[in-house]
Amino acid sequence: MKTRFSVYPYVWRVPLLIWQGLFFIGPLALMVAMSFWLVKNYRMEPDFVFKNWDKMMSRGYFWDAYWITLWRASLAALLATLIAFPASYTLAFKVSDTVRRWAVFFLIVPFFTSYLVRAYAWQVLLAESGPINAILGYLGLGPFTMLNTGIGAMVGYMTLVLPLVVILQTFSLAAIDRNLIEAAWNLGASARATLFKVIIPSARVGLIIGAVFAFILSYGDFVSPFYLGGSKPPTMSILIIDTTKSGQQWPRAAVVAIMMIVTLFTVAFVAVGAAYGRRK
Amino acid sequence: MKKQTSVLTRRGFITGVAGAALSTPMLSRAWAAEPTVINMLAWYGHAEPDIVGEFEAANNVKFVPKYYAGGDNMLALIAQSPPGTYDLILSDAEFVQQLNAAGYIEQMDASLYPFDDFFPEYQNFPGHWVDDDLWSVMVRYGLLGVSYNTEALTREEAMSYNCFWNEKVKGKVGHFDWHLPNLGQMSLLMGNDKPSPFDISEDAWGAVQEKTMSLKPQVGGYFDYGGTFSSLKNGEMLAMCGIGDWITGVLEKDGAPVASVIPEEGGVQWTESYSIGKGTTKHEIINKFIQYMLSPEGQVKSIQMAAYPGLSPTKSGWKAIQEANPTEAARSGMVVGSDQDPIKMYQEGRVHIRDIPRQQSLEDWNDFWSEYKTA
Amino acid sequence: MRMADILSRVYVAALFVFVFLPILTSVVFSFNSDRFPTVPLGHFTTHWYETAFSRPEVWLAFKNSLIVAFCAASLSTMLGFVTAYTDFRYGFRFKTAYLALALLPPTIPLVIMGLAMLAWLGRLGLSGTLIGIIIAHTVMGAPFAMAICRMRLQQMDPALEAAAWNLGASPWRTMASVVIPFSTPALISAFCLTAAVSFDEFIVAWFVSGLNKTVPVMILEILQGNVDPQINAIGTVVFLTSITLVILAQLLILRRSAT
Repeated sequence: MKTRFSVYPYVWRVPLLIWQGLFFIGPLALMVAMSFWLVKNYRMEPDFVFKNWDKMMSRGYFWDAYWITLWRASLAALLATLIAFPASYTLAFKVSDTVRRWAVFFLIVPFFTSYLVRAYAWQVLLAESGPINAILGYLGLGPFTMLNTGIGAMVGYMTLVLPLVVILQTFSLAAIDRNLIEAAWNLGASARATLFKVIIPSARVGLIIGAVFAFILSYGDFVSPFYLGGSKPPTMSILIIDTTKSGQQWPRAAVVAIMMIVTLFTVAFVAVGAAYGRRK
Repeated sequence: MKKQTSVLTRRGFITGVAGAALSTPMLSRAWAAEPTVINMLAWYGHAEPDIVGEFEAANNVKFVPKYYAGGDNMLALIAQSPPGTYDLILSDAEFVQQLNAAGYIEQMDASLYPFDDFFPEYQNFPGHWVDDDLWSVMVRYGLLGVSYNTEALTREEAMSYNCFWNEKVKGKVGHFDWHLPNLGQMSLLMGNDKPSPFDISEDAWGAVQEKTMSLKPQVGGYFDYGGTFSSLKNGEMLAMCGIGDWITGVLEKDGAPVASVIPEEGGVQWTESYSIGKGTTKHEIINKFIQYMLSPEGQVKSIQMAAYPGLSPTKSGWKAIQEANPTEAARSGMVVGSDQDPIKMYQEGRVHIRDIPRQQSLEDWNDFWSEYKTA
Repeated sequence: MRMADILSRVYVAALFVFVFLPILTSVVFSFNSDRFPTVPLGHFTTHWYETAFSRPEVWLAFKNSLIVAFCAASLSTMLGFVTAYTDFRYGFRFKTAYLALALLPPTIPLVIMGLAMLAWLGRLGLSGTLIGIIIAHTVMGAPFAMAICRMRLQQMDPALEAAAWNLGASPWRTMASVVIPFSTPALISAFCLTAAVSFDEFIVAWFVSGLNKTVPVMILEILQGNVDPQINAIGTVVFLTSITLVILAQLLILRRSAT
């Protein structure tokens, strides 16, 4: 009995270890190793040199891309959180369960439409000769240059992250105990005080997780900055693609990738720490 | 516009037939009569039905393309694939030497191709021959100069690269996102035309960098092939650096107010060549295809390729296009007496073959390009 | 107060318009005759659908996509389930690390996954194969499958399994006749969702695919290539395919959790 029992748990536990070891940790570890390799005649040769790190870390354009990506992703996370909140609030408190369920369903839909096709549609919509400027033109405004600017890229980021942020916020707001809010009202708290002293702190985890996801997705995205931002300036993801394209410089692309992962994890851990921190 | 429609219909027709022929056996069990597959590594468009459709139907072959976006990308793709993956490689001429050096291509039999029919200027294309051994055959080429929106700039203005600094196109100058053609043009603007804009001293290279940086405030974006297309078409960009008729030619046919000229300072020539991938077993059919593409019939297709037009290196190609489509021949300068006649401009020293930098490393140019983009 | 209510609904509606505008635009332009999309629209046509779907390589890409989506979804679901079950049933040392390992993949940017996967699979001789894409998509899909299965298991009374054991059923038997039947709706919806994830993923697939293109990779190549409106036609069909999978998943979750 006892021996049979000891096999059983491992049948469930081990597959993930093997699979992630082989196809998740393996590739990432190889990438780390690769960052110390050299490229000769368009072929990579295993080595252990810091040349690629020296090279990338000493380039102005690397740091430009690093900071612009960090800045843009942070801005996207902030904007998405602010834009989503009133909508999530409405969905959580002001509509029936059925409406909320359908709303969430429709918010899931965009995840499954090709992001590329959506970016391409924005190219058409945002163009100076596009429909949006045409409508603004009737109102006597514009034309505005939106495509190939930071605005274009931001529109793309919002397209990517807003649905997810709204869903996460809605869930966390809907989960707040209504009695808590009523208690606040009964104690004579103003609407504003209720919002800032009761609702937002209670939904803190969901709000922060939403923002973190917005950050992660925007940080790694290359479609929006490329197709809507005109690569001007290039972000880290574009830098990776550029680097692999030019002269088979995979080791340098690996350096950029590692820097991205380190940054992402740092931000994510700090944010998640902030989300759960005070509860301890 | 009319031309476009007819091309599309014919293309639709051919693919329709091919599609029907292919999808039927897919449903039943017979994979037996499957056509020979030729894996082709190429720029976008080279294995599309308008180019290979008729050859496929006549020879029971099927082209499976892998499209790349630039020579570096191409080399990377080959490097990551086992030998023999690609049967036929269409590359930019300046990368042939590197393909050869890395051992990715096979030597070719010069007697199989109609070199007598080539204009003398193109018979001994640099890098394609090593002593008397042939490694690659040029199939088409084109010129890179100033591409512009004809409603924003006049042809006279466009006759100098200085038009990129014009106030009228501020924030509307686009770059094709590849350092070689762009920096080559900047080098020409700085007067480095002898021997070549790509063979410049360190001082000249410094000056080119400085001049390029001064263009930054005018720049509206950096685009791949597709982005270059749409941004010129929808007027997002009014002038484009690093490209030529291969982009604007398609848009012109579609009625967009764009054009390309080779300015006074000179232009850069892009060249596309076929090489045979090392390890292929399909030599016979590949050679047949290359011969087909170099024949007048193939050249007419290549000149009018739906993805992007090109020029013909063969005399019979010129003759064929003059008969088949005189408008296109005139538009692209493939008639004697045109001021954009590529052979004439070549002889006058106004056209320089795009090359990799000779006195700096490719990496230096590439690094500078990255810096310029983030500046 | 009433005014505020109306305003807040208008705000939600506006947000939905923003989210759906690109999708609608692409559907509209897929039926528009102009080669390059601009306003005003040209006339109605199904030309782009005909052109796109008369090309054998488009059919081949769909076939590849379906194969990849099916295999990746099956593998992700299995992997997700065993991991979710482990998390549900057992506590052990380093469990946090174990769960982190399971859930981390979605936090890695796709470009980086593509880069690392291509290098790794290239070493294993799997780059350029459909198997390579399946592996990559399984890594990306498994965490989602795990989350879905975990949520379902949460609803199961932990005493149920113990009761079956006490009645003399072996753990295997209990798994087969209690846990798996209970989890079936989650397994199906996990399958649908991970299939949809795979069906839409293009960056990693683009790095890894070589000559075996999936549909989204083909879309990317058109976008990098001559920007043909076929992109909208193909995109619309992909959208319909994915949305069918999602609706299926949704219906199954709703129906089963109602009972």
